[in-house]
Amino acid sequence: MPSATLLGQALISGVLAGGLYGLLAMGLSLSWGLLRLVNLSHFALAFLAAYIVYELGTDYHIEPWWSAAMVVPAMFAIGTAQHWLFDRFKVNELGSLLMTFSFAIILEVAIQLYWTADFRRYETEYATRSIKAGPFYIPVLELTLCIVAAVLACGTWVWLRRTYVGKALRAAAEDPDIAAAYGVNHKKLAYLLSGIGAAYAGVAGTFIALIATLAPAQIWTYLGVVFAVVIIGRLGNPIGALLAGMLIGASESLAQAVLSPAWSPVVSFSVLIVILLWDPEWL
Amino acid sequence: MLLEARNLHIGYGDASAVWDVSLDVAAGEIVSVIGPNGAGKTTLINAVAGLLRCRRGDLHFDGVDMNRVKSHDYCGHGIALVPEGRRLFVKMTVEENLELGCYLASARAARAASLERVYGLFPILRDKRRQPAGELSGGQQQMVAIGRALMARPRIVLFDEPSLGLAPTVVDDMFDIIAKVRDDGAAVLLVEQNVLKALDVADRAYVLEQGRIVAQGLPGDLLKQPHIREAYLGV
Amino acid sequence: MVVTASRDLPKLAAVIGIGVFALLPMARLPAFYDSFLYLVFFWISLSTSWTLLSGFAGYFSLGHAAFFGVGMYATAVMSAKFGVPFLFTLPVAAAIPALLAVGIGAIVFRLRRLRGELFALLTLAVTFVIATIILNTPIDGGGGIFMSAVPLPAIMPTPTGSIYALGFVLCVSTLAIAWKVAHSRLGMGLFAIHDDEDVAEAKGVPTFRYKIIAFALSAGIAGAVGGVHAMYVGFLTVSGTFDLTVPLYVVLMSVIGGSRSWFGPAIGAAFITTLLYAFISGGEALVGRALVGLILVVAILWLPDGVVPAVKKWLARWRGVTAKPPQAGVVPIEPVSLPISRPVGDRVLLQVRGASKRFGGLQALAGVDLDVHEGEILGLVGPNGSGKTTLINVISGFYPLSGGTIAVDGVEIGHVPAHEIARRGVARTYQIPRPFVNMTVLENVTLAATFGGPARPGAEIRAEALHWIAFTGLAGKEDVLPAGLNLHERKFLELARALAAKPKLLLLDEVLSGLNPAEVDNAIRLVRAIRAQGATIVFVEHLMRAVVELSDRIAVLNEGRLFALGAPREVMRDPGVVSIYLGKAYAA
Repeated sequence: MPSATLLGQALISGVLAGGLYGLLAMGLSLSWGLLRLVNLSHFALAFLAAYIVYELGTDYHIEPWWSAAMVVPAMFAIGTAQHWLFDRFKVNELGSLLMTFSFAIILEVAIQLYWTADFRRYETEYATRSIKAGPFYIPVLELTLCIVAAVLACGTWVWLRRTYVGKALRAAAEDPDIAAAYGVNHKKLAYLLSGIGAAYAGVAGTFIALIATLAPAQIWTYLGVVFAVVIIGRLGNPIGALLAGMLIGASESLAQAVLSPAWSPVVSFSVLIVILLWDPEWL
Repeated sequence: MLLEARNLHIGYGDASAVWDVSLDVAAGEIVSVIGPNGAGKTTLINAVAGLLRCRRGDLHFDGVDMNRVKSHDYCGHGIALVPEGRRLFVKMTVEENLELGCYLASARAARAASLERVYGLFPILRDKRRQPAGELSGGQQQMVAIGRALMARPRIVLFDEPSLGLAPTVVDDMFDIIAKVRDDGAAVLLVEQNVLKALDVADRAYVLEQGRIVAQGLPGDLLKQPHIREAYLGV
Repeated sequence: MVVTASRDLPKLAAVIGIGVFALLPMARLPAFYDSFLYLVFFWISLSTSWTLLSGFAGYFSLGHAAFFGVGMYATAVMSAKFGVPFLFTLPVAAAIPALLAVGIGAIVFRLRRLRGELFALLTLAVTFVIATIILNTPIDGGGGIFMSAVPLPAIMPTPTGSIYALGFVLCVSTLAIAWKVAHSRLGMGLFAIHDDEDVAEAKGVPTFRYKIIAFALSAGIAGAVGGVHAMYVGFLTVSGTFDLTVPLYVVLMSVIGGSRSWFGPAIGAAFITTLLYAFISGGEALVGRALVGLILVVAILWLPDGVVPAVKKWLARWRGVTAKPPQAGVVPIEPVSLPISRPVGDRVLLQVRGASKRFGGLQALAGVDLDVHEGEILGLVGPNGSGKTTLINVISGFYPLSGGTIAVDGVEIGHVPAHEIARRGVARTYQIPRPFVNMTVLENVTLAATFGGPARPGAEIRAEALHWIAFTGLAGKEDVLPAGLNLHERKFLELARALAAKPKLLLLDEVLSGLNPAEVDNAIRLVRAIRAQGATIVFVEHLMRAVVELSDRIAVLNEGRLFALGAPREVMRDPGVVSIYLGKAYAA
């Protein structure tokens, strides 16, 4: 049995790593829960953003935060453009899954053609900084990620709960006809939400650029676990997505520490399968 | 006339449910449409609310040709629906449901006053305002549905089977509320199975059978005619 | 004999084609061709096997890699670690995934909610779990498995030729199985499940069993294909085996080809594999991949059913046999010459005792007692929410009873699955017609005759189906899809489907709603004609004139209880009944 310090450190690293799962899950959760669109290309968009931040940082020496300020609005635009296709062709849930899978492949190829299949690493001074709290080390970058994710999650939550637009979106997800009878123009709001979902992919991408080593095939590595996180956190619930992400991150990290690193992928899916069998109405 | 419907044909897909129906509602008036199950009452009221588009016929509200108005703009013209089966946003709280009623900018400005008015009509909703609407009893849900419509500051409220599935005492309350809505200045178009209640509250009424209007007039006169009995009982 | 020649031509071509491909390795082509063609066979087998469940029955699986991978590892472990001869491992490689599928299906297929995208994600999750288990146990252990020491049986002159031959045999067998399934009862049932599972069950299709069979077949074939593929790749790793590419390409190929056709996936697979290979050998593998993605987008937007149905449609139009647009008019039903009212028998056909049904807090049926006599038409009426449709739903088995008993012809059916009830002679229609939308009128009725009626030879079933199509006035529309019918015709299709099952008891749910007066008269004539044939009918209807006119007796339900029962005019004049409908004051 590993020592308490080791377990504590594993727990902290796990929760912090789970922040990225949560951040990636948020955009997916919103579009799936409120628009009934399953967007597999979310991960590809995040990596596209990551590569752009990397490129701007290494070739043009632009600070990642400035890059993010450019990339995130660009992703918003891409998200609305994508939604135009869904809207124009009245794509259903399964259709959106297949279609965005194709987008993901096309983006992956585009990334590979431009940046090659080599591993890319964006070296910054932020990557090495960490805070020492008692016996534990807290990496600054991951902590920042979690804070940003938490702010976004809470901000989105408040937006959905407290503003008229947010309430209209939730109402339209339950009963679009009646929402329309009270003046909700669901079509227009759906564009906004699709854009926001993609913008979140941009935020996640910025952190991926700083934290991870980039390679085109990495696009697919988050897919399974993040979908598990989306469902565990309940569709359309940004805070749920973040907490589920941290829960899965922590469990994976503990499984790594206690069992072996290779067992960690089983964790999220076991949780998911148990939840779906226990309560098929969880979604 | 506030609402003028002329020769409406309405249906779902290729199924027609309403043929050649004309009806009027004047400002400040309660008009009931009665008829047995499956006569096309809900179809008719959904078309007036903009949920369904008419195949043929003219629908004018306060002089505006509603066939040219988009579904989500009907509410802005002053039409609010209390749908059959209530159709609340069950995962959202009572107050959020009410707020959806004043989603449009014009009604939003009067949010506080409208909320006070609804809570005044239904004091129980003030206590339950933080609860998900789906957890309320049937009668309370009907109150939320009516409250939601009133929040829109409508000039006409469309009631679709407000008594359905409610206990008899609650039904009486609902019809009192309908009268009160009219007294506050809105016109009412009411679609009901419960013949006596619907005729009791109405200024004028129509009898719908099999998608057609078979009789119309003052409630007292209609009760004396055989149409209602034939439509409901077949004998 | 031009006709038979042209009919036999495809068979002849198939035989020659199979012969040529089977003997191809004898020609000692460069290994490049062997392995290219092997890959074509490989993807054809995988995508066709996927289609057996996901295309035919519409249960979209993203977990095909799990079964394929388990098959690969079964063969690899047995042959490389335990020295079992390669060919002997293949049946096991098929059996283990098949059993796994049965296990998964036994849990998942019981839950109604787990359809659509949830089934897809759940199967995907299963893939990850199995991959991790294999990685972390001695099955793989993280190092991968080499197949180089495993002797390959010399079926063909070259090793690549031998693998080619195995791949070819699997491919042909898979296609043969797919053809066989598509043209069998099983396939018919699966297609019906795809369109509307509840209706399929009500028409007598044992949906649960059929889904399990299809899932097991699908997984078993994938496992066998995996077994052979283990030999082809020579070195197995978990990440290479349980790759997302497998489910995604399989889906892509089937969707592009047409996943409701037994050979659609094969066409998609051949096309995509060739395309990818062409780009790979041209050094532009990446561009090929992107092109595949683009093709899928285009296919979803413009060819959502796949190439095969689209081509079929074009061919049909080209030959000029395309379905004519639905006629607007009403085809009148011939008045029957049989006596209008047959004597009602004394024998009780349907006996309902204390039937109750609860939904959560709502008591929809609160103890209904009702006897329906043989040959009788019983009208079931009552205000909204009185439990009429619920009663139809519990008799037909859509909902299980909460309490009480229901017996048809003396046999208790209250807790029997719906498809069993259908086989015991109960047929129903739906208020809003629910035809199987991808099946023609004839196929719709044939399905009902096949699963609902007694076992008969195919020709007899077809004749039966045609008879009822003509009886309901749909003659000439046999090959039309339901979307090409108007509402009135779709309602009559509902009736034809119910009648084709030769029911003892016919339950009609609002046959007249939504029809215009001329159509209503027509429908009433039809119901009379049905009764004249000797059926016992219980019908729910809101159009009271019609109820009074048609019924031998009327049963009035109120608040989940039987309120009144008797001759139509008497019941509807009963003060109690009047007060239910119009209020006490009106009755007085």
